[in-house]
Amino acid sequence: MVEFDRSAFIAKFQEEATDLLQRLNEGIITLEADPSNRPLIDQWLRDAHTLKGSSRMVGLMEISDIAHRMEDVMVKVRDGDMTYGPDITDAFFEALDTVVFLAEHAGKPTAAEADVEGVTGRLAVLAGSTEGATPVKAETPTKAPDLPKREAEPDAAHVAMEAPEEAQVTASESEAESRPVAEGGGKRSKADDTLHSKEQTTVRIRTSQVDRLLNLVSEVVISQIKDEQRVRDLRGAAAGAADALQVWSRIKTMLSALPHEAQTALDADLHVLDDLLVEQRKHIVSLAKDYADDSSRISTVVSDLQARAMELRMLPVSTVFNTFPRAMRDLAKTFKKDVDLIIQGGDTELDKKVLEEINDPLVHIMRNAVDHGIEPSADRVAAGKPAKGTITLSARQEGDHIVIEIADDGAGIDPERVKAAAVRKGYITESEAKALSDREARYLIFEKGFSTAAIITEISGRGVGMDVVREFVVERLKGSLDIDSEFGRGSTFRLTIPLTLAIIRALLLRVGGQTFALPTTSIEETARVERSAVIKVEGHEVIRRQRRTVPLVHLRDILGIDSTSDANGKIPIATLGFSGHRIGLMVDEFVGEQQIVIKTLGSHLKRVDNVAGVTILGAGEIVPILNVPDLMENGRQMTGLRVRHPGHVEKDVKHKGPGRILICEDSFTTRELERSIFEAAGYEVETATDGAIGLSRLREGLVPDAVVTDVQMPNMTGFELTRAIKADNVLKAIPVIIVTSLERDEEKAEGISAGADAYITKSVFNQDTLLDTVERLIR
Amino acid sequence: MTPSGGDNGDLRYAKMQDVLRARAASLAQSQEEEVSVDALGLLLFRLGEEWYAFPIDGVREIYNDFMVTRIPRVPEFILGVVNVRGEIVSVTDLGTLIRVPSRTHQSIESVMPAAIIVANESSVTAVVVDEIGDIVEVPHDSIEAALSTLDKAQAEFMAGSVYLTGRLVGLVNLRKILEPIGETV
Repeated sequence: MVEFDRSAFIAKFQEEATDLLQRLNEGIITLEADPSNRPLIDQWLRDAHTLKGSSRMVGLMEISDIAHRMEDVMVKVRDGDMTYGPDITDAFFEALDTVVFLAEHAGKPTAAEADVEGVTGRLAVLAGSTEGATPVKAETPTKAPDLPKREAEPDAAHVAMEAPEEAQVTASESEAESRPVAEGGGKRSKADDTLHSKEQTTVRIRTSQVDRLLNLVSEVVISQIKDEQRVRDLRGAAAGAADALQVWSRIKTMLSALPHEAQTALDADLHVLDDLLVEQRKHIVSLAKDYADDSSRISTVVSDLQARAMELRMLPVSTVFNTFPRAMRDLAKTFKKDVDLIIQGGDTELDKKVLEEINDPLVHIMRNAVDHGIEPSADRVAAGKPAKGTITLSARQEGDHIVIEIADDGAGIDPERVKAAAVRKGYITESEAKALSDREARYLIFEKGFSTAAIITEISGRGVGMDVVREFVVERLKGSLDIDSEFGRGSTFRLTIPLTLAIIRALLLRVGGQTFALPTTSIEETARVERSAVIKVEGHEVIRRQRRTVPLVHLRDILGIDSTSDANGKIPIATLGFSGHRIGLMVDEFVGEQQIVIKTLGSHLKRVDNVAGVTILGAGEIVPILNVPDLMENGRQMTGLRVRHPGHVEKDVKHKGPGRILICEDSFTTRELERSIFEAAGYEVETATDGAIGLSRLREGLVPDAVVTDVQMPNMTGFELTRAIKADNVLKAIPVIIVTSLERDEEKAEGISAGADAYITKSVFNQDTLLDTVERLIR
Repeated sequence: MTPSGGDNGDLRYAKMQDVLRARAASLAQSQEEEVSVDALGLLLFRLGEEWYAFPIDGVREIYNDFMVTRIPRVPEFILGVVNVRGEIVSVTDLGTLIRVPSRTHQSIESVMPAAIIVANESSVTAVVVDEIGDIVEVPHDSIEAALSTLDKAQAEFMAGSVYLTGRLVGLVNLRKILEPIGETV
């Protein structure tokens, strides 16, 4: 089992309890002076009831018990069975102090110091319910080891389930910070202290307020960037003034050659000009210096301000990680694997916005790790590994980035298998595959619709998932993705994510007279290349860099910008490396690199191809920020590298003319059903009533794009047919899809070993899965 | 608009009825959003030779003398974006949408004369116009269906028309103009 950190929920409870406790305390004081104040009693009861419920939810049963006892007493007061008196006040104060103490020390070993038994006992006596006293005792032995017992209580069952781990985790986490506990009687005053200090140190703020503040801060950052530009301008002006002065002194020397009369006539003016120029230079230089000093001082403050403001939105990653133990258990069950999850670095803090986006990619990577990474126990033991697999989820901060790693000790990723699948499915060409390093090859799994699965089933092999990871991490979070994998030993997915989404470094460049910003994270190299270094290969331009051939494409062509400025000199080229591919973008000019603040394109333009957003430069100029994944995709299509776009399968099918399907099925109904599905989708359909007839039709020269076959048929079964097709050198390229009512794992395994490309069980059979599967296989 | 006899005529009539019903429905819808008083406030503007109007409730501000930054590969009717006090707002060329030749022509980063920034709960855009006119109030029931001479492309962007001092003014369908772009891509 995995540690489940409930500290986040406890913190929420503590916040809420602080308010409740204050009201309860105030209520007691007011009641003492006005014991028959019915509305106040009702309010007090409601608060006590809320406290009871919330504490129960987070597993703080002692608090719940005390609140329950207090309620009992107050109900009697309300119903007139008891008169409110000082004895009640005393008991209530004592009870509330104990609650404050318990809330503050929730989950810590010090919590056991509280005399819960005594308090509840006294409250029970006060309520006069002797029959109530016994269950109290039974329910409140307060010592941590008893916690598992709580599972039996229906209300608390769903949280209490995790209670034993909780006690463990928080104990180890907080040991360092928990103060030495005061002996015996000091409890009450200490509890008071903590209540007070808590009220003063935390303020709850709506996230929208924080976001608004952050917006303003980014406006300040923008003006700061403008300011720095202005410092450079001023320095330029100072240099200009110095130049002017120099020229002037040369002219002055020459003027002495003029006739005396002329000199006298000009004398006054010359003096004025002389003084003016000297003064002006001095003035500008000192202005530039002061401005630069101020600016650098402000810039420190601004970056501090920004960092502090960003911190307001920081939350520990545990708020996301905490859901994974449960998710992992479900995944392990689904895929019938035995897996342990270890979580590390849950207290690493991350921008709330980033956290919101990080959940989905993590889920996909974990699913992938359980499904494809961790092997079945038997295989693991055979490979000399422990039967139980381990997945480690960890987070740490490195500079201004957060690194999240998901490591498994499973089978690892076989780069050759990935390459083969990528070539087969048309993502890369054979020659491209040869040039790929293992690392680049592994990266292919992030391509849209990519799957290495040898067979498509209902739950995996559909190639959905890892491209989502890439979309989230690279496109939305502007981070990077990396895979380390050793075949047979396991894989590590590494997500490097900027601490904040608001500011990135970018290369500014110009195309067709317009400036664009290119995020530096995906730029491998910038270079100015001689025109002669550009080689033409099959009508496409390439260059050789570091013993590799890099295809080139004009950025203006991707962006559809008219530009004729083909300078005669060197060509500026920015090489992008992304998702295992490289492409060189030819631009008109590099402007420079700088930090930019990202803004969206506004609410009207939700998504624009190639453009991720805009930034505002010094003079208020809007500069579009280029979207690297889009550029790669479009650039590769232009260079002809992308054989087919996996996203437009249907279109491609139509281009090729109607596909042809051979259906082998002995049941008339199923055969006609399948026929109508394929015909409706535009396929030509041939049918055979059993495997033998199907096989002979194939041997006679029928060339379908796919064979869809049943398993149980007379003369020749679907498995036999599949084996025969896959054993035939001519026919083996034809994808075989088995559609059957046999859904046991052994049967599936037989289908796989027969060489089927997909296995669809009739219980989940529907038009979409069938067509989708066929289209995936024949593209 | 009477049934002219014969199957053909009946069919055409029925279709026309459908169109009118649909239009009436969309009209009713757009009116519901406005404050339900009897009068409807309109901001008039000129595009080429013709006059159009936005419901005043959808108008956020009038924006003058601004630089448009072109964004590559957007639909033809999006001229680019502008920076309105730190907020990025798209610039829509209504003339292209409803095929009215206007003076405004898209040239890179040129200074545009005037735009009306319109908004609803989900989206904001600056619509470039040739001339900004008056704000007028018209009774709700004076809004007629859009001109039947409009072709389909134009009709989509029109919520109706209103007759004002001797000229017919097209009431722009803001919801359509403000439909987010590229959401499904």
